[in-house]
Amino acid sequence: MSVPAPINSQLMQYMLGSLEVGLVVIDRSYTIRVWNQFMQSHSNIADSLAVGQNLFGLFSEINENWFKSKVAPVLKLNTPAYIIAEQRPYLFRFSASRPVTSASEYMHQNVSLFPLVDEHGVVTSICIVVYDVTDEVVSRQRFEEANVKLKRISRIDGLTGLNNRRFWEECCVNEYKRLGRSKTSSSLIMLDIDHFKQVNDTYGHPAGDEVIRYLAEIIRRTTRETDICGRFGGEEYVILLPDTDGEQAMLVAERLRRKAALKPAVYEGTEIEFTISVGVCEYQTRFNNHMEWVELTDKALYNAKRGGRNQVQRAA
Amino acid sequence: MSLPVLICDDSRFARKQMANSIPAGWDVEISFAENGAEALELIKAGKGDVVFLDLNMPVMDGYQTMQIIKEQDLPCMVIVVSGDVQSQARERMLKLGALDFIRKPVDNSRLMEILHQFGLYSGEAAVKPASQDMPTSKEDRIDAYREVANVAMGRAGEKLAELFDEFIRLPVPNVNVIESNELRMAIEEIQQSEYVSAVSQGFSSVGLQGEALVIFNETSFESLINLLNYQHDSDCQELEIEALMDVSNILVGACLNALAEQLNTRFNRSHPSILGRHCDLEQMLESNVSRWTRLLATEIGYSIENHDIQFDLLLLFPSDAIDPLLSLSCGRRYERTGTY
Repeated sequence: MSVPAPINSQLMQYMLGSLEVGLVVIDRSYTIRVWNQFMQSHSNIADSLAVGQNLFGLFSEINENWFKSKVAPVLKLNTPAYIIAEQRPYLFRFSASRPVTSASEYMHQNVSLFPLVDEHGVVTSICIVVYDVTDEVVSRQRFEEANVKLKRISRIDGLTGLNNRRFWEECCVNEYKRLGRSKTSSSLIMLDIDHFKQVNDTYGHPAGDEVIRYLAEIIRRTTRETDICGRFGGEEYVILLPDTDGEQAMLVAERLRRKAALKPAVYEGTEIEFTISVGVCEYQTRFNNHMEWVELTDKALYNAKRGGRNQVQRAA
Repeated sequence: MSLPVLICDDSRFARKQMANSIPAGWDVEISFAENGAEALELIKAGKGDVVFLDLNMPVMDGYQTMQIIKEQDLPCMVIVVSGDVQSQARERMLKLGALDFIRKPVDNSRLMEILHQFGLYSGEAAVKPASQDMPTSKEDRIDAYREVANVAMGRAGEKLAELFDEFIRLPVPNVNVIESNELRMAIEEIQQSEYVSAVSQGFSSVGLQGEALVIFNETSFESLINLLNYQHDSDCQELEIEALMDVSNILVGACLNALAEQLNTRFNRSHPSILGRHCDLEQMLESNVSRWTRLLATEIGYSIENHDIQFDLLLLFPSDAIDPLLSLSCGRRYERTGTY
């Protein structure tokens, strides 16, 4: 059996040239020693012009201090180092490899830095390998954008645009945990449209929906950006007011009640008057879980209902 | 009368290896201890005029042991044998009165040099043939691998200490064969933080495939970025990724280098990938670990004293890599001892 002849260096050269990967060798003074076909094509710099040049002189987009700090451990520890596109989109600013259909203007790159050692084990130069990861990065970005959109949709109540109950409770749990470590206090407001069934019966369900939407708008305009408002279900709403004590929360609640009572909702030209009942409860250290807080707020709301509606009650 | 020599190391494999490195011509009586507390008992009983002491051990580590030896002025000469040769570790131990350091895996010429230097032995370096105690039982083989991992992770810690110029605390690595769904529990043992960031890198050589994971504690970032002392103007998010990459590059790089060297192989390494940032550990593992039913998991938690910085390094080997890994761990080390 005959042993196949080893591949000659010309073939090897040809193979290296055909690799769709950038190969650069620099010495310890950052002078370019090897510049493969991929690098020539994408940089528009022939190897005869690149070899012998200083890397930073030829590519001003490379931050010299930063790049040297990445190379240092490669020289010192004789171990490869990696730069990912999330860290820096590219090392060399090249155009995207598909000039017409690529969603990105430039080529996103993953870069490996390998030590090259001589026969004594001393690192004499560094091999820079440049991978084109544009498609990967673009699809990851799209995936992330879609996820953000999905996440938003899954958190929002369709009718009012406020947070839905599930997400609001998630926020409430987080705030409850934070309060355990914090010195500040926070408050909850729970409110409910009085005699909502009558609104539906008198004006019809679409009108009822409009009242629900209208009240959500009042809540949005009356609260701060940092307050977390949610539709708890039916005609019931909840507001979490971070860094707000009971006194301040009472003021917000009263403002809400007044606004609702003063300006009726309008549906297809018909004014629909309505009032709300409101319960307020400040966070107390004796709570064992966030549910106790919500329940106590609900109790205050119940007291407001029992007290004759169109009023605010604070939990004892 | 023979000189009483004590070998103190938590790894049975390391104790055996150390014992095999002791020259046959040196007239000694060897005793063994598994931790510092046992070692102190034996030293007090006159069994340890010369002590080969490991640093990272359960129950009582090398530092505590050395402290007590110094305080009670116990009559013994201590030579530290450790995979972790951080300059600060060395300084601490020399200050406490240790004679010298030998890096694991024990280099016999270095051992001979030290024995000569302190006038303990000046004969031939010949060692006993070691092939007859080639480990065969599963526990022995895992123990041999544990020692390989210990050295690799110690080496990684040492390089990290150089980067930060700080002393890195290294506990003993945990080595366990687990199901991949037990990974979370295993990590939680060393990583208490609820939210974590993680970088993963795959590596492979002929017959051997594995993955290295670096897991960062949520609270560590600010101190980490401060400690790395970045000069370039970038926003905080970028600096975080930069810190993630810098630390994992060095940790995984040094660890795999030391691992490959001991197993006498070379690794191809994949590009590192960020598994998740600031996310729930459970969710991250759920969305990322999809294969590998049985794993050999090696975990170590590094922490930097005075800086509230903590991160974990995990080496994971899938079930079909376990056997080759354990064989390489035993074979290579014994072959090494045999060639001196």
